[in-house]
Amino acid sequence: MSENGTLLSVENLSTYFFTEEGLVKAVQDVSFCIKKGKTFALVGESGCGKSITALSVMRLIPIPPGKIVSGKIILEKQNLLKCAEKKMRAIRGNSIAMIFQEPMTSLNPVFTIGSQIVEAIQLHQKKSFEQAREDAIQMLRKVGISDPQRRIDEYPHQMSGGMRQRVMIAMAISCKPQLLIADEPTTALDVTIQAQILDLLDDLQRQDGMSILLITHDLGVVAERADDVGVMYASRIVEMASGRELFAGPLHPYTQGLLKARPTLGYQGKRLAIIEGTVPNPLKFPSGCKFHPRCYLGCKDKRCQNLEPQLRQVLPGRFAACWYVPGYETAQEKAEYESSYGPKQ
Amino acid sequence: MTDYIIRRLLLMIPTLLGITIMVFTISRIAPGDPFSIAMGPGGQLDAERFADIREQQKKLHGLDKPLPVQYLIWLKRVATLNFGDSIKHHRPVIELIKERLPITLTLNLIAFVIIYTVSIPMGVLAAVRHKKLFDRLSSVILFMLWSLPVMLVGQLLIGYLCGPAFKNWFPPAGLSSNYADTLPFFSWLGDRLWHLVLPVICLTYSGFAYLTKQVRAGMLESLRADYVRTARAKGLSNTIVIFRHAFRNSIIPIITIMATLLPAMLGGSVIIERIFSIPGMGMLAFEAVTTRDYNVVMAVATIAGLMNLIGLLLGDIAYAAVDPRVSFESKV
Amino acid sequence: MINMTDKKAEQKNWGVSYGQMVKNEFMKNKLNIISLFFIIVLFLLAIFAPFIANDKPYVIRIEGKLSFPLFSSLTANDYVILLAACIGLCQLLLMRRNQRTIEPTMRGHVLRRQLSINAAIFIICSVMLYIFIPSKLDATDYKGMISSNRASDAVFAPIPYGYARTDLRKREQPPSREHWLGTDDVGSDVLCRLIYGSRISLSVGFVAVGISSLIGIIIGAVLGYFGGKVDFIGMRFIEIMMAIPVFFLIITIVAYWERSLFNIMVIIGLTTWTGDARFIRAEFFKLRNQDFIQAAVSLGLPIRSILFRHMLPNGIAPVLVNATFGVAGAIFIEAALSFLGFGVAPPTPSWGQMLSLGVSTTGRFLWWLTLFPGLAIFVTVLAYNLVGEGLRDAVDPRLRKAA
Repeated sequence: MSENGTLLSVENLSTYFFTEEGLVKAVQDVSFCIKKGKTFALVGESGCGKSITALSVMRLIPIPPGKIVSGKIILEKQNLLKCAEKKMRAIRGNSIAMIFQEPMTSLNPVFTIGSQIVEAIQLHQKKSFEQAREDAIQMLRKVGISDPQRRIDEYPHQMSGGMRQRVMIAMAISCKPQLLIADEPTTALDVTIQAQILDLLDDLQRQDGMSILLITHDLGVVAERADDVGVMYASRIVEMASGRELFAGPLHPYTQGLLKARPTLGYQGKRLAIIEGTVPNPLKFPSGCKFHPRCYLGCKDKRCQNLEPQLRQVLPGRFAACWYVPGYETAQEKAEYESSYGPKQ
Repeated sequence: MTDYIIRRLLLMIPTLLGITIMVFTISRIAPGDPFSIAMGPGGQLDAERFADIREQQKKLHGLDKPLPVQYLIWLKRVATLNFGDSIKHHRPVIELIKERLPITLTLNLIAFVIIYTVSIPMGVLAAVRHKKLFDRLSSVILFMLWSLPVMLVGQLLIGYLCGPAFKNWFPPAGLSSNYADTLPFFSWLGDRLWHLVLPVICLTYSGFAYLTKQVRAGMLESLRADYVRTARAKGLSNTIVIFRHAFRNSIIPIITIMATLLPAMLGGSVIIERIFSIPGMGMLAFEAVTTRDYNVVMAVATIAGLMNLIGLLLGDIAYAAVDPRVSFESKV
Repeated sequence: MINMTDKKAEQKNWGVSYGQMVKNEFMKNKLNIISLFFIIVLFLLAIFAPFIANDKPYVIRIEGKLSFPLFSSLTANDYVILLAACIGLCQLLLMRRNQRTIEPTMRGHVLRRQLSINAAIFIICSVMLYIFIPSKLDATDYKGMISSNRASDAVFAPIPYGYARTDLRKREQPPSREHWLGTDDVGSDVLCRLIYGSRISLSVGFVAVGISSLIGIIIGAVLGYFGGKVDFIGMRFIEIMMAIPVFFLIITIVAYWERSLFNIMVIIGLTTWTGDARFIRAEFFKLRNQDFIQAAVSLGLPIRSILFRHMLPNGIAPVLVNATFGVAGAIFIEAALSFLGFGVAPPTPSWGQMLSLGVSTTGRFLWWLTLFPGLAIFVTVLAYNLVGEGLRDAVDPRLRKAA
């Protein structure tokens, strides 16, 4: 990862939740970089920890049950996890902005959309109310809402889901953030609207050089829009690569399974491939590699059952966390394995 | 909005008619009549001797006609705001009501204001400090207050704070001292307020619990909402998030409660007025019911019903004003 | 014991039913358990009142012969209450066993059968008790017999006073060693009347709430399901009921009718059903459009079945919560009515009526007549309110977790 092009660098981030039922290690040892002007997609099934990772970057984790126990998040040479809350508030909405999954409920129903955007603008920039309102109208126009002069005084319940999401985006980009975190921005929308929203995000990225951290479980979205991808499973990143390389040749058995499970044009007849089993309960993670119970390679491998592989670089720009990926294990580890368990199958 | 109000006012008429018919039927169906009661227990035993007098009284007050006719006569009179005369007091009912209604209203309004000023901040604070000491402690105390019967509290207060036996801080009964008429205005006002302290305490303490719980519940729900997360993500400080975003949303159910709280308090003041001997609507209603003063009973029912309905209407209007999602067209 | 049930159920692969979930959630909070425990103690006091406070001894030797005056003076009411308690206990134990040994699909059917059998037994036995047990009044002064040595070896109940026994020489006495909580204006022992008074309060609470819930559910269900014109008319009626100040309506009715416990219970029930009706109506509106109801309708199930078998169990949660608060409210109302003089007539003991004696005709403040009945009401209402709140919390998170 080059230093110059990097906007945000997450290093060894771990977030735990101390609940009544036990300790939930929602995010463990997650590291990735987001380059300037590029889109980084964090992919995974529900419950794998990707949303928590995003909230941790913004430090929006509810503190009594949750806690960011370790790691660094470096933005422009500052560690966000160590700065004061006041400084963090200056960053939220300003340098880093976030949009959420449910546009229906993410906007306050008793205020007009205009007042909510103006609130964001006036918070971070010293502008008068009229100026801020003008800015807000510009933002609405930028995200593709027609007749913004009139719509700015409407209430959220008067708009459709797609329009509300556009309003959320307008609110988020109103202060020209360097990074936009989009947490499943299209999951709650119709398929046709999904495409429009994603196109909009693309345009904004191109116009303003904004980086995007895209959280999603939809591989189709990732394939088209992401520059770099990180695949998460059960609180860890198990594979990371550029989008093109990941789709051309996935290394981790989980990623392979995900890609094989997609139906493709021209596929006929037989059943779809699946990954056996289900996502583990965060209170009861399996020992060793968390994916091993479902892995066609490692379910019977004693090392996979007991020793958890960390994320390592196996090729330039490609990372994986799996004992079976070629180039992963060091010679010493191979020797240790063969001495304990015999030659590999 | 005006035609919504007009529609509601028109709808009130059948409801009021329904109320009056119900109260009329109930009070007349039962055996007995006001004169036998007024004449005391002896009057019922010696029916023959007093029968004549009773029949004459009945004719005088129009009670000998068939029931539906009586009702229609009453209805016609009410249209001109003539509620008839009180059988017991021998005065027009309207006068009685004019004397007593302001007293009850003042008492209840003061209590109302106190309850709201205390409960709303307490509820917000309890929600913000959810599950911490303040929340738990206030919850327990409020529960206990809610469960205390008014009779107990009232009598204890009178017993310990009003007599020469212990402390003589407050007067035990009435609205003004005997010499009040001779006082200048501010002293008279002070004397009045001094008399009102204990009754107001009795009226307010149980209202705290209910309202604080509602405020707390509403705030907790707002604080968990997605738009609060969005507000925080915008970089707003915690105070602004709580007061501008969460609180504004949780007011909505509170306003609808406001509409129902006033009628409830009017009902509760019967006991308090009895304990403290305050000549208000509650006492009037109580006396009227026990002495079968039909005209007063009907008048109280009508006026109380009317106030309740207006309260409900105001509540609905306020609700629509506060919540932009609600429009008048959607409500019947 | 709860865990064992769950484990056994798990072994047989049964899911946890809604009722079990609510119960488990409820039991997690210690405060709820304490309140529930207190309510059970209150029930026991009410059921065994004649054995705890009675002026007739359990056993006494008169002229050499043993006799058991307490037992022979038990009224039919007392027996019926004991019978109800026994049957209730049996039913609870049976339900426990049901959960452990009968599969969920059969449980409803079995439960209904058990309930009908138990109800039948109860009704038949109560009727027989009322017919065959004469109400004799035993006014013998057993204590006098002891003190004048005509009798000996007597074992009295812990509180050796009867609730109707008056002793005008001992009127309005403050608490002493003989009368632990003092005496009232006719000399009856306050503690004894307090214990018997719990019977009145509890029965008023439950019967009134039973009636109001029943009316509220039926009306709410009909309005909620049918909607349209039915709903319009029904809502006008509900508005009328809501617009009249309830307490005023109650005193109006009570003042004109005969003063009896039954009347009060029925009247409170007839005037407080509007809250339940509105809840059920709202729930039924929501449920009416749900798929499983549409499916039931398309199967041709009769309306009765759709309303009460399918929709009602799904919408009943707020009504149950309201019911516990309703019991507390009914106890309050009964106390207020008795306080104002409209309640049950003496000598039947009522906490509210005892409160009204707090200030004597001579103007003395009889603190023990205010404090103790007031505390009794306070503690009872507090317990019910806490249980109601616990129920409300137990029902709520389940909905949230499921969502």
